[in-house]
Amino acid sequence: MRHLSRFALCGAGSILALLGPSPASGAEPGLELPTYTRAYEPRTVDERGVWMEADEAERGLRDSPLRIREAGLEAYLREVLCREVGTERCAGVRIYAMEIPGFNASMMANGTMQVWSGLLLRSRSEAELAAVLGHEFAHFELRHSLTGFQQRRRATDAIAWIGVWGALTNRDTSSTQSIIERGIYRYGREQETDADLLGLQYAALSGYPASTPSEVWKNLMAEEDASAAGRNQKPKQKYTAGYFDSHPTHLKRSIYLAEAAAKMPPGGDARAKEYRAAMAPYLPRFLAAQIKRNDFGGTEHILQSLAADSGWGPDLLFARAELYRTRGNPRDLQVAAQYYREARAAGYMGAELDRNLGLALLRNGQADEGRQSLNAYLTAMPEASDAKMIRALVAN
Amino acid sequence: MKITWFLRAACAVAIAATGISAAAQEKTGNKPGFTLAPGTARIVLMRPTIWVGEQSTAGMPEPNADWTTQARENIARALADAQTGLGNVVISYDEDASGEGALVAEYSHLFGAVAESVIEYQFFSGNRLPTKKRKDSFDWGVGNGIAGLKSLEGGDYALFINVHDEYGSTGRKILQIVSMFAPGAGVSSGVHKGHAGLVDLKTGELVWLNADWEMGGDVRTAEGAAKRVRQLLEGFPGRPAEAPAEGE
Repeated sequence: MRHLSRFALCGAGSILALLGPSPASGAEPGLELPTYTRAYEPRTVDERGVWMEADEAERGLRDSPLRIREAGLEAYLREVLCREVGTERCAGVRIYAMEIPGFNASMMANGTMQVWSGLLLRSRSEAELAAVLGHEFAHFELRHSLTGFQQRRRATDAIAWIGVWGALTNRDTSSTQSIIERGIYRYGREQETDADLLGLQYAALSGYPASTPSEVWKNLMAEEDASAAGRNQKPKQKYTAGYFDSHPTHLKRSIYLAEAAAKMPPGGDARAKEYRAAMAPYLPRFLAAQIKRNDFGGTEHILQSLAADSGWGPDLLFARAELYRTRGNPRDLQVAAQYYREARAAGYMGAELDRNLGLALLRNGQADEGRQSLNAYLTAMPEASDAKMIRALVAN
Repeated sequence: MKITWFLRAACAVAIAATGISAAAQEKTGNKPGFTLAPGTARIVLMRPTIWVGEQSTAGMPEPNADWTTQARENIARALADAQTGLGNVVISYDEDASGEGALVAEYSHLFGAVAESVIEYQFFSGNRLPTKKRKDSFDWGVGNGIAGLKSLEGGDYALFINVHDEYGSTGRKILQIVSMFAPGAGVSSGVHKGHAGLVDLKTGELVWLNADWEMGGDVRTAEGAAKRVRQLLEGFPGRPAEAPAEGE
């Protein structure tokens, strides 16, 4: 058995060598960007194929009901991307803003970029958003979809042949196959690192602070820790990536990005004020979506971090009230009622505040005050779709 | 997306390794009592979903843009020919100035989901739902909201076509041959699936669906595409009686 596994390892080594060089990541990140080809057209059969699939997927995004079509948002995201990577590069990209509350953005082979609303909610400045957009653009520039596809094909081909060889010779080849399989994920993580470092170069040349990309990951770790604490779990940030992780750990990314940034010019304004102003019209709906994620600790962390920058405005107070009312412990209901009232005092105009305050009060046993609030809601919105239900509550 | 690719490939290997191969699967469903009078119906052909490529040695789908373009053209031509035989007016969907592109795309996705459900939960045994077991029962639809779409106003029915072809690569074929000598490692080569469906634009009901998991006809050639379209349109309501097709 021991002999067999040594043999298997040896086989895996030679096959891994066949799988081609890993993406170049050794060089010190300087400030020279690679040459960029405008209006690039796919060249090989593989590349045209990968682009074809991306073209189809892009049609799906274009027509998706999740896309945020309100005037200006996608145009603004494009502005940020252009400031980050330069006007020549950003001309090859279409950006789709998607209403998905997770922290993510992604890139397809043909220059389609999707940006999730969860990323927009969490970013605190243009520089933070730009750090992620620049990383995604680097995937595009480095043609990672194509090379990733080709590497997966090489690796799975090897796995298939080894499997058949194992069946022919009646040997257990699973450990060799699993080593190659891990290589697929390791290659993906190396692509992420390469995109991080090229993205950092864009950031350093853009005028945004070079230290921001590293901070993005620190913020995300803080949110994940808060989220775990809110669920009475231990925070579980890892130092190194597991075999099957698609990305390096947040900790590792924040460290190597900070190290590389230290060697670069510091950059200038993160444009936090401009970012807040651009996001202000969308803040209530992004917050509402985040609250529905049933992540008390993480959401409270986001609210705190937004409030640290802009103060507790009416939208943040209302969202905080909603967060507490949704968790719904007796003490939460009391706190929620208080935040609703503070939000009203701070200038929150929506009539739904009266309804939700009324519901919180009713559940907290403050029946008279609750009915008063519900009546205020009914007076303001007599034709609301839930008016009948609320009337029934008031009558009881 | 990356991980899905890999899992699909891994799955293909696993299936190959355990020697399960999809049995010949073809099935047609009609709404009971439905007939489409020839020569009267205006059928709107929705943009067909077509994917053509290779199957890698390990079973990973490898998209091929050139083949897909060829198939798109060949199938469109073959469909146009076939429709003349059907005696119906067939027009390709055009959004025009309706601004309904996104909404129509939603209906196309909805049709896709319904068609998959019919295939999964009614057509083939295994996962068939108890409520879908009765013969002569074919009760599916996308909702009558589709009747309100301006860009579909002139049509009586919408025809949806879905074709997915993975031709076995050389590596896959060699693996298949070698694996014949390996006990328990049956490897199949190539995937050729397709389905076609007809939706009543007045009611949103699915009036006909034909699905085939092992289709014939090489869609990269004109003759092959004609054969494929014949197979896709098998059991099409109101289709003039034909002599049984030879050797299909």
